[in-house]
Amino acid sequence: MKVDVQALGTFNELAHEGAEQATRSLAQMTGIDGNVDVTRISLVDRADLGEELGDEQFVGVRFEFEGALSGETVLVFAEGATDEIVDALGHHADEAMARSSVEEIGNIMMSGFIDGWADHLDATIDHTPPDYIEREGSAILPEAPTEGGHQQLFVFRSEIEWVGEPIDFFIYMLPEYDPMTELMADHADPGADAIPIEKLEVFNRMTREGTETAAENVEMMTGIETAAEVTQISFVPIEDVPKQVGNDTVVGTVVEFTGLPSGYLLVLFDEASAMTVAEALMPMEPKGEGLTERHESAIEELGNIMTSGFVDGWANVLQQSVDHTPPRLVHDMGGAIIDPLAAQLGQEQRHAFIIDSRMQTDEIDFECEIHALPNGEQLREALDQLVVDRADQTEADVEQHF
Amino acid sequence: MADVLIADDSEFMRNLLREILEEDHDIVGEVENGVEAVEVFKEQQPDLVMMDIVMPIRDGIEATDEIKSSNPDANVIMCTSVGQEEKMKEAVKAGADGYITKPFQKPSVMEAIQDVVPS
Repeated sequence: MKVDVQALGTFNELAHEGAEQATRSLAQMTGIDGNVDVTRISLVDRADLGEELGDEQFVGVRFEFEGALSGETVLVFAEGATDEIVDALGHHADEAMARSSVEEIGNIMMSGFIDGWADHLDATIDHTPPDYIEREGSAILPEAPTEGGHQQLFVFRSEIEWVGEPIDFFIYMLPEYDPMTELMADHADPGADAIPIEKLEVFNRMTREGTETAAENVEMMTGIETAAEVTQISFVPIEDVPKQVGNDTVVGTVVEFTGLPSGYLLVLFDEASAMTVAEALMPMEPKGEGLTERHESAIEELGNIMTSGFVDGWANVLQQSVDHTPPRLVHDMGGAIIDPLAAQLGQEQRHAFIIDSRMQTDEIDFECEIHALPNGEQLREALDQLVVDRADQTEADVEQHF
Repeated sequence: MADVLIADDSEFMRNLLREILEEDHDIVGEVENGVEAVEVFKEQQPDLVMMDIVMPIRDGIEATDEIKSSNPDANVIMCTSVGQEEKMKEAVKAGADGYITKPFQKPSVMEAIQDVVPS
């Protein structure tokens, strides 16, 4: 079963327009203005679903839907955000009424979200009454549909920000895997160069292995026990790529890789983690305050080694070589670092696949993200050449050659 | 004790290799790219070159190829983060005598050197 980039783009737009309709409904009822910040389609491992929600407390309004598309969707608010909504409606005096208000707002918003899909598909999609829930982190999301036994699933996620309020909320849509991929295949242009969905899954698995290798490299070099936490492939409009990385200040490396696929790869640490790993690499205390040249040199080399750990698996499975430039040290807001790279890709494509991995440790304050931004056409070619049976052959044996 | 030239664009990695090697070997030079590696090799004729692959200006495979063309008896160990099968084949074709992947520990470096330049 195959999907082409144009069909993925259409689905992304549908989800984005649905989120905008839901946001307009919210504004109409409460006077609270919102903007749909970003909408992405991700192929994610079932176990990683909702990791980005951390351990915060959330309120959710959840629905099941069925028809031309079936699955579950949930509107997720940070705990305090619902108070703002209830206040705006003037129902804060009565807890039951407040809860009912949130449910009904969710109901109206999600109808707006779902209706756009039904109209586009020229079909009916029904949804159940809203179910109000309060949970921590990823537990706010439904158990992902398990039909077909797929270990990965497609997730549509829209992030909405309130104008003038430091509160975001999210819409998650989790369609059942088989009907979703069938729909994607139905929308694929037979004349276009389409991507086999099964191979995209395999590639995602290879990426997880690459992240695990990168994590092992960090551990071997620094002694910091590190684990791969999340890997996913997302599909977003090119202008939304910087939003995937965020605006926190980060330190790390950027390389351009060439071969099959080609593109850019970023290894980024938050500033505190960058200091921690760099100092763990140094044999002695550095002289000077903040990030010294020695810190930067250590981070460059770590970025270089992690980059290789990440892309070597692709090269070995594809039986190709993937070259990369020496690492360039970067220290800026994440979005500002990736923006020119996305612009470069944007000369040839309107949407981008972005491969995100995160690793962290509970031992100390350490977090690292790897973002790969492959050229879409090159990624399609790589997937075309990917032999699924070779997918576990990510490592090369030096002793076979020397 | 061998005379060793270290070619790596990372100052951090050059320092690390020097610390590992200087107890048992003489470090006769440290360079940052493949062009400098070839130049210093021709001047110093060291017993061994520890050669990174990903370097600016000229990469380590090209530099190894040129060093081996100028002196087939030269000893070159690739010392790189790249763990790709195809790259290992390229290194063999260029004439490399050994291949160590980063990150490494001192024993694996010493063992690779012992294989190429027996003491």
